[in-house]
Amino acid sequence: MTSTTNPQSLQDEIADLEQRLRDAKFRLQAQSQTPPTPSPPTLPPAHLHALLLLSDSALPLGSFAFSSGLESYLAHHKPSSNNTSTISAALSSFHTFLRLSLATLATTSLPYVLSAYRNPENLYNLDNDFDASTPCTVARRASIAQGRALMTVWERSFRAGHTSSNTLSTLQPNSNEHPADVEAIDVAINTLTTFSKSLRTHPDTTHAHYAPLWGLVTRILHLSAWDAGYLFLFSHARTVLSAAVRASVMGPYQAQAVLASVELQERIRGLVEEGWEVRVEDAGVCVPVMDLWVGRHERLYSRIFNS
Amino acid sequence: MSFTSPFAASSSKAGHGSIVISVLPPDTPVLADLSYQYPLKLVAPEPLPPPQHREHGGTQPKLIHTVFLLTYGGGIVAGDTIDLSVCLDPNTRLVLLTQGSTKIFKTLDPGVLSKQHMTARITAGSALVYLPDPVQPFAETAFSQSQVYYLEGGEGSLCVCDWVTSGRSARGENWDIYEYRSRNEVWAVNGGADTSTQKRLLLRDNLILNGKGQTNMAFSERMDGYAVFGTLILRGPVFAALAQYFLDEFEALPRIGGRDWGDTAQRELSPHEQQRAQRQLREKADGLIWSAASVRGFTLVKFASRDVQGSRHWLRDMIRDEGTVATTFGHGAMLCLNS
Repeated sequence: MTSTTNPQSLQDEIADLEQRLRDAKFRLQAQSQTPPTPSPPTLPPAHLHALLLLSDSALPLGSFAFSSGLESYLAHHKPSSNNTSTISAALSSFHTFLRLSLATLATTSLPYVLSAYRNPENLYNLDNDFDASTPCTVARRASIAQGRALMTVWERSFRAGHTSSNTLSTLQPNSNEHPADVEAIDVAINTLTTFSKSLRTHPDTTHAHYAPLWGLVTRILHLSAWDAGYLFLFSHARTVLSAAVRASVMGPYQAQAVLASVELQERIRGLVEEGWEVRVEDAGVCVPVMDLWVGRHERLYSRIFNS
Repeated sequence: MSFTSPFAASSSKAGHGSIVISVLPPDTPVLADLSYQYPLKLVAPEPLPPPQHREHGGTQPKLIHTVFLLTYGGGIVAGDTIDLSVCLDPNTRLVLLTQGSTKIFKTLDPGVLSKQHMTARITAGSALVYLPDPVQPFAETAFSQSQVYYLEGGEGSLCVCDWVTSGRSARGENWDIYEYRSRNEVWAVNGGADTSTQKRLLLRDNLILNGKGQTNMAFSERMDGYAVFGTLILRGPVFAALAQYFLDEFEALPRIGGRDWGDTAQRELSPHEQQRAQRQLREKADGLIWSAASVRGFTLVKFASRDVQGSRHWLRDMIRDEGTVATTFGHGAMLCLNS
């Protein structure tokens, strides 16, 4: 019975034994060396969730209504003849505009974001000074509209989870946050609460500009100052690109490619670095003509955007 | 009427200067102080009565003072610092002028800034007209200027212009500078002598052309081919009509990208409309674009053109056609716009 076994079944048996040997070795190795699955990080990063919330294009700030001067810029740079190069001309115009627009935002507004982030109690002064430093009515209107929208988002959506920084501390009992940070966040929350009251009682002197409020809200939501600044500029680039898509300058994939590009990343990083220590007193326009393009948006014959 | 100047008594420091206009009772404006140190030079011709004794609520001063701001050698050399303080008592008028553009001469070290600083104290019923020639920074220059206006109680009137050119265009210079900064600030101050106690920023217009911005673009490209850029700041009762004129004319600009479909009946143009149409033609020929905005009690006008004369003539036409400056301060106040 046992004498004759065909070679095929012997080969199968060897293969089976080898497989079992490998399994056993693997199990032994796994047992002795690594834990079965990596454990989750001890601190759930609260700022990651906030970062996702704030970078979502669905954040209801109404940004889609503004082109930040792109529409007017394109109208001022219309190629004279209607030939096939029109599209490529508009495209190269757009790339120039994006650079100038980001530079403008970084030199005029970023210092206010960072200053409000670092000194939340100074919101009233920053709001007034930003208003005084934004003489272009179209740009002011856009900044106030988005600032007020951010206030509304804060009040209706974010505030409940952040009545005081203590709430978060109880959520994260082993949070190793610096006491000064906790205190600053408390100050920021209180300032925002009184600010939203004076927005109703003193609408003539309280404006609610976007940049300083962005600094405050990102502080409360535990973003780092760097992320707050980076996201501020990134969102602007995204808004301008989305305006370009709707103004038929480029397609959505092309726009996404620009947004994803290393070049844009490096530019934004460089701009945050440059603006990191600029005092708000020294904020200013680095592309003077930008004010003209934005300001003359009102004079366009046809418009699809508010700015 | 006695008035303590909020600024330190004029010292003998290089480049410092002071202009104070007070009122000799009952109502004669006098030049109470005119002092200056090399390289700054101030020249004050005899004050003139206003050309037209139109009563502005009976507060029209009897005399208009004019001061020329000059520098030795006709420009600012690397490392120079000019520091001028101006103080206008209630119900006084001052016209500040230059003689030719403020030339900024080449610096060997891009890190050495030349500076020009002016603080002006304006009081209720007083008015300052500052319509200088443009600043002309030559190639390889680094220049920073600031004009800070303190309005007592937020009152007083201002008509000030700040404009800059691309350099010596005849020599092919086209924003070949190292750095240029110009800051215009208007503050409301309360409480007299001490400006630091209670002040509120009303307006800040800060222009910075330096290497920052990550644009990888030359300044000329950043300026989009314009050789002149300027800002005109208007505020206060004296210039209310002039400010409104700028706003109305901006509103009347033809729509950008609009077309004449031929369905609007041609009608007879009024003289003012003809004047406007001609001016708009010149704007187009000179490649001049401008905007006007009413904000926080100011009217802010920004303009840019392909060459200096385009802006100069446009500004002259606008201010002359409206008339306030000529009738209240005399044609001399527009001297720098006429060349």
